[in-house]
Formats: sequence, C-alpha cells, structure tokens
Amino acid sequence: MIQIRGLRKVFPPDKIALDGVDLEIAPGEFVMIIGQSGAGKTTLLRCLNRLVEPTAGEVMLNGSRVTGASPDTLRALRRQMGVIFQQFNLVKRVSVLENVLAGRLGHVPALPSIVGRFPHRDREAALACLRQVGLEELADRRADTLSGGEQQRVAIARALAQEPKVILADEPTASLDPKLTESIMGILQRINVERGLTLVVSQHMLETALNYGTRIVGLRQGRVIFDGPPAGVTPGTVENIYQGGVR
Amino acid sequence: MKRGVIRAVLGLAILAMYGWFLVAAEVSAFRFLRGLPWMADFVRRMVPPDLSVLGSAVTGALQTLQIAVIGTTVAAILALPLGFLSARNVVSAPIFYPARVLLNLFRSVDTMVYALFFVAAVGLGPFPGVLAVVTYTAMTLAKLYSEAIEGIDPGPVEAIAATGASRLQVLRFGMLPQVLPLFASYVLYRLESNIRAATILGFVGAGGIGFYIQTYLRMVNYPAASAVLLVLVLMVMGVDFTSSRLRARIV
Repeated sequence: MIQIRGLRKVFPPDKIALDGVDLEIAPGEFVMIIGQSGAGKTTLLRCLNRLVEPTAGEVMLNGSRVTGASPDTLRALRRQMGVIFQQFNLVKRVSVLENVLAGRLGHVPALPSIVGRFPHRDREAALACLRQVGLEELADRRADTLSGGEQQRVAIARALAQEPKVILADEPTASLDPKLTESIMGILQRINVERGLTLVVSQHMLETALNYGTRIVGLRQGRVIFDGPPAGVTPGTVENIYQGGVR
Repeated sequence: MKRGVIRAVLGLAILAMYGWFLVAAEVSAFRFLRGLPWMADFVRRMVPPDLSVLGSAVTGALQTLQIAVIGTTVAAILALPLGFLSARNVVSAPIFYPARVLLNLFRSVDTMVYALFFVAAVGLGPFPGVLAVVTYTAMTLAKLYSEAIEGIDPGPVEAIAATGASRLQVLRFGMLPQVLPLFASYVLYRLESNIRAATILGFVGAGGIGFYIQTYLRMVNYPAASAVLLVLVLMVMGVDFTSSRLRARIV
C-alpha cells in the first residue's frame, strides 16, 4: 500500500528530522508510530502526502510515486489519503456538514463547488460519514460550537468523506483527555476493522499505541529503531525508543 | 552622558522642525483671533436654514449615497482577486511584491484626485464620481483584505489542501470562510468613509450633494447652504449608525 524508501528530511539550516526511513506498509495495517517529541513522527506523516516536501527518498502509494508527482497527480493521490490532525483543523465559522463536505472536494465538479453547490449524492455521502462518527444530529451546527472530542470526530468524518485508501493521523488524541482518547481510537479501530482502511497514526502514549496498533514503528532521531507487532515491544525496546524517559 | 547629549540634540532638532513648519504654514494666533468675528457672522447668516431648498438637498444627498454604495460594492468585488494576489501566504514573492507596489502606488492618490481625472475623461456627473470611488476603494480594500488573509489560521487551509482539493477550492473553503466576516466589516467601514468622501465629489463636478453646497456658498446664499449641510449631516449619521450596527453583528 505504502512504500517508503530512504526518506530524508532536513529542515534548513541543518535540523535532520528524518534520517533515511524505509518502511513497507501493507493494506489493512494499523501502524502506530511512536517516539519522543522531535523523533520525526509528525514529519514522517507529513512527508507521506507532501504537506512537508521530503529532502530525499521516495514515497509510493499503490505503486504511484508521491514524491516528484506533478501538482495534478499529487492532488489525485492526496484524495486517497485522509488526514487527521492534532488540532482538528476544522474551518470554525462554517457548519459541521460543510466541513465534512470539504472531504468531497476532490470528487465533485470544480466550478459548482466554488459557488458552494454540491451534488445531492455527495451531501448524502457526507451525512453518512457524520452518521458513522455519531454526529449526524449536529450537521447544521457551527463547527466551533462543538467540544474538542466532537470536533475530532467531525475531522474523522471529513477524512472518511474522501473515500480514502489510507488514513494518516498525527497525534489525533494529544489534545483530548483519556476518555475521549479511547473514544477516538475506538472509532479509528472500527474504521480499520470494518472498512479495511490502512491507518498510520502517530501516538505519544505508549500504552494507547500498544492497545490499538497491529504494528508498532519506533522512531528515534529520525530513524526507525523498532518495527514489529505490539507483542514484540519489550522493556528494552521501550528504553531504547524513549532513551530512558518513558512518557 | 553620551546618550544624554544625543537626546538633547534630537530634541532640539525636533523643536526646530516644528518651528520651521509653523512659520512655513503661516500659523498665526493673531490672524485666528481676528477671524473669529467673521466666523460668528458666517454662522449667524446661516440660520435659520432655508428649508425651501430641501428638495434639491435630498436629491443631492441621495445621489451621493448612490455613488458611495455602487462605488463601494464594485470595489469590494474587484478587491477580492487583488487582495489574494497580494497576500504572501497565497502567491509567491514574484507576484505579491509587484502587486503590493501597485496597490501602494494607487492608494497614495486620494479619491478627489481620481475624480478630477475621471471628470476630464468621461465628463461631468455622478459617473466619474463612481469611478473615482471604485479606484481608490478597491486599492484600499485589497490592502486590508490581504492583511486579513495573511493573518488566518493555516491549519484548516492545510486540512483542505490535504483532501486533494484544487488551489481555488482551498481558497474558497479553507481561507474565505475565515476572512469573510472581516472583509464584510472592512467594506462597511469603507462605505461610511466613502459617504463622506462622496460629499465633496460635487466640488469638482463629479455629482452628489457637494454640488449644491458649493453652488449656494458661491451664491452667498448661506441659509440654503446650511439647509443642505443639515441634510448631509443627517444622512451621514444615518449611514454611520446603520453600518456600525451591522458591523457589530458580523464580527
């Protein structure tokens, strides 16, 4: 599904965020990326759809090159990758439904969408995605009137509305309390199991990562230093990944 | 010690500058005091207002309102592409630097000067007034728009881009909702200013209530002039009131 080869990212002038990452992610995997702050988790996720432009290396999605793709090709590839952010990143002043409809932008005719017209079918699809995260009744509310947990569920619905093959989530629960963390991770797990979507999620809470992931990737200083099933994570691995300081 | 010297020199230089400017501008308390009786006389001759000219005053005021509303509306729309093209988080440096320079160039000339230009170009009447308002206001609004755009939260913009949306869709769904209320507030504010600017457009033959003020003053018909001024004040207050109420509801 996703192939990453020799991925490097250097932020000017000389901050090395990713130092040669190689990963092969199969369809249906629930990959948890763990590591200390600054280990490169966020940069890795953002390089996958080129919200951050990699310095070197290659990213492939279903055999298509993401790195070096033309703007049009990149848009087509981004359509297949739903993204969930730590800060939800909803458009605050518009309704919940409009936020979810934004997930349809890659699918609908461009010109009518600019004047705010979406085909009936796409509205139905957006509502169905809201139903999946249990927020259908809030469709007409302004996004900024929702609680943090609800906003993140809307963001998940927006990602689902893209009908993606992959969902990339960057610390989706870091702004939420433990109970909401369980609820959001539960929704992601359901998407993974029921829809067979491939998930790549960065998670700073080790326990949460081990509970939900089918595969753990440990990053340290921009390098993969662990890659295996949750059961394979030993105290030694943890020590190694967090360099002594478990969070 | 050294800083004290620098401060003293700087202070003296600033004082000298003001002294020079006051002399150059021929500012004189004596002349002002000598003029006071004339001012009183002027005001005395303006009352009571001659209400028989109320009809033409209202016609003039209405035309001023029309010039300001049409001019501001057209400018608000024209400023949209201009604003986005001069925001550094929308376009790259080779586009926004020239766009900025162009905006600042056109903005340094006031509506009145544009009015003179357009009267010469298309003839007398309210139309050159509209053109003058459009030109100046479009540039001012574009500048305000671009600053609002540069201040938006980049998170939602990135989220929309990540869905595979086109650049235009990102502008429309990620950026526009964030800035639209600000834009509306700026437009209303400009409308208030333009009502005032449009009142003197008549002085150069570009239509509106200014024509009547100037005419009656020239004819030394002060009661008529004061009636027109009265209508003008009422209109400006009315527009300001409505507009500020609207602005308070938007933001």
